[in-house]
Amino acid sequence: MGTAAGAVPLEETVSFSIIPSLLFFVLGLVYTVSTALLPEAAVGRPFEPKIFPFMLGGLMLVMSLALMIREIKALKGNEEIQEHLPFYKEAGFKKIALTCVFSVLYALLFDKVGYVISTIIFLELELILFNGVKNWKINTAVSLAFSLFIYIVFSKLLGVYLPMTPGIWI
Amino acid sequence: MDTLAFLLDGFMVALTPMNLMWVSIGGLLGTIIGMLPGLGPATGVAVLLPLTFSMGPTAALITMGGVYYGAMYGGSRASILINTPGDGAAVAATFDGYPMTKQGRAESALAISAIASFIGGIFATFCMVAIAIPVARFALRFGPAEYFMLFLFALSATASMTEGNRLRGFIATILGLMIATIGIDGQSGVSRFTMGILELQSGIDFLIVIIAVYALGEVFKSFKNIDSGQATVQKSFGKIWISREEWKRSVWPILRSAPLGFFVGALPGAGGTMASLMSYNNEKQLSKHSEEFGDGAIEGLAAPESANNAASVGAMIPMLTLGIPGSGTTAVMMGALLLLGLQPGPMLFQQQPLIVWGLIASMFIGNIILAVMNIPLAGLLVRVLSVPPKILYPIVLGLSFVGAYAISYSVMDFFLLIGFGLLGYFMSRSKFPSTPMILAVIVGNNMEQSFRRAYKISDGSLGIFFASPICLILFSLTVISILYPLVKAGIAKRKTAEA
Repeated sequence: MGTAAGAVPLEETVSFSIIPSLLFFVLGLVYTVSTALLPEAAVGRPFEPKIFPFMLGGLMLVMSLALMIREIKALKGNEEIQEHLPFYKEAGFKKIALTCVFSVLYALLFDKVGYVISTIIFLELELILFNGVKNWKINTAVSLAFSLFIYIVFSKLLGVYLPMTPGIWI
Repeated sequence: MDTLAFLLDGFMVALTPMNLMWVSIGGLLGTIIGMLPGLGPATGVAVLLPLTFSMGPTAALITMGGVYYGAMYGGSRASILINTPGDGAAVAATFDGYPMTKQGRAESALAISAIASFIGGIFATFCMVAIAIPVARFALRFGPAEYFMLFLFALSATASMTEGNRLRGFIATILGLMIATIGIDGQSGVSRFTMGILELQSGIDFLIVIIAVYALGEVFKSFKNIDSGQATVQKSFGKIWISREEWKRSVWPILRSAPLGFFVGALPGAGGTMASLMSYNNEKQLSKHSEEFGDGAIEGLAAPESANNAASVGAMIPMLTLGIPGSGTTAVMMGALLLLGLQPGPMLFQQQPLIVWGLIASMFIGNIILAVMNIPLAGLLVRVLSVPPKILYPIVLGLSFVGAYAISYSVMDFFLLIGFGLLGYFMSRSKFPSTPMILAVIVGNNMEQSFRRAYKISDGSLGIFFASPICLILFSLTVISILYPLVKAGIAKRKTAEA
């Protein structure tokens, strides 16, 4: 429900790129092939676990092909192709990429150094990314407060286990 | 009169001091998340889910209900005061709400939005009390074949109601169903599409997908605008209430929009966005002051707010009675129920009446508490809007990771979270709707299981899916839901060609 509805009521909106439909087509292909390669079931009808996936794979192939054809038609019909920035040049992309890198780092540290320390590091990095190094005082205060608050609420009050920092009480 | 007795029991459950406290805390936290631009009730419930992990099922559901309503109230605060709707359902509140604020009538706007939401919500809860039991009783007649056809109808209706992107809606639905097939098949023990990864054998937890798409994906989307100038928020208010004249103008639009919202909300796939926009257009046509719409007409704010809240209650009906979520937020609520070991569906009303009726009673109570919180405390709550998003978004990210960890206690899920977050972001960039995918991920397993069970019963014949009248009706509804938009578009095209 995220789209600002009302802007595009009936007219099908067209994005001038066939890449997504192509990707979904490939996914449909891979999915269908891997369904065919699934082992037979030892109980019941041997092909039973494959029926539903086959239907999905087939539908995906048909739908993505239909979308691809429509996109190509739209491309041909519209001589003036709107300039589209490649996604990696869009504002915000660098932040998304860095957030993913920080998240992976977070995942790697989480069990080893414990919840509080890894979360402080993750939030500090995120806040430097958005709020700038200049505001380090606020950044540090927020990451400290958040990590400790969540740790105390979850681990001590709600009984949700979070990894502890080795050697320290939290 | 069973229903009344059940409801009374429900009130007894919901009115315990602990549960009252939880619904208030949930409401407060939900309001804060709902105020963040781009984040709505689905995100609020998804992110705050781990709060409830140690609670009993009743308290957990009541808290979630509080978060749900809180986020809706919060969303309309942000729409009215700084013109940034939290989700699609709050968009209509910006049309007249924000102009009212600019004209210095924020007090009336805040008050009427709370009053209209309150009336819409209460009205819809009454309807729900009346309808839930009959629907659940009817659904008891459903066998596996009927269930499969029902899932088929719900998913195709959701996909084909996707604004302007029907084909993309269907593709997103199939993708969601594909995700649901990952893992060991429950009936045959065959391990499917796990790519040799041990952790995938138990399947992908749909809660991870939900948190990833609704929290990470939405936050990623907001990164683009994160540096744009901080909106100045009006922080001091006069008395937050409305004049007699304003009430007179709003009362009928509110009362008309509540049943409309309830009905639209109960339909699969329609939900709050459509309900609020429909009621806005409706009132604009009916109003004597239609030229004021978009320019601060109070009924233009009252109507969609009432419809939106009524729709949120209506959407609970298919979720609770049939196990079919009709919107993103109810999908998350259903995820919460499943996590608590409760399978929504007709049996839930028989096996766990206290929980169901406790939830319904807490809708009444939640509505009252939020209206009370939102009228006198509005001035205090909106201070959240002046905390810069640059600080709040990293906190939402932090909450998503705790949530994911608390579901499975495995860091492996962090990688799934990141992966599906990116998937959600790229899907919305290429205009693929995420809600149909989420619904499909949640019902996918049940859908396949009912297909297989029916298939077993009929000994391998597909005729069983067209054997009973209920199946045939559901099949026709599916066909209609797919064809209707095409026919409508065709008529519209012909009209424009004639003109």
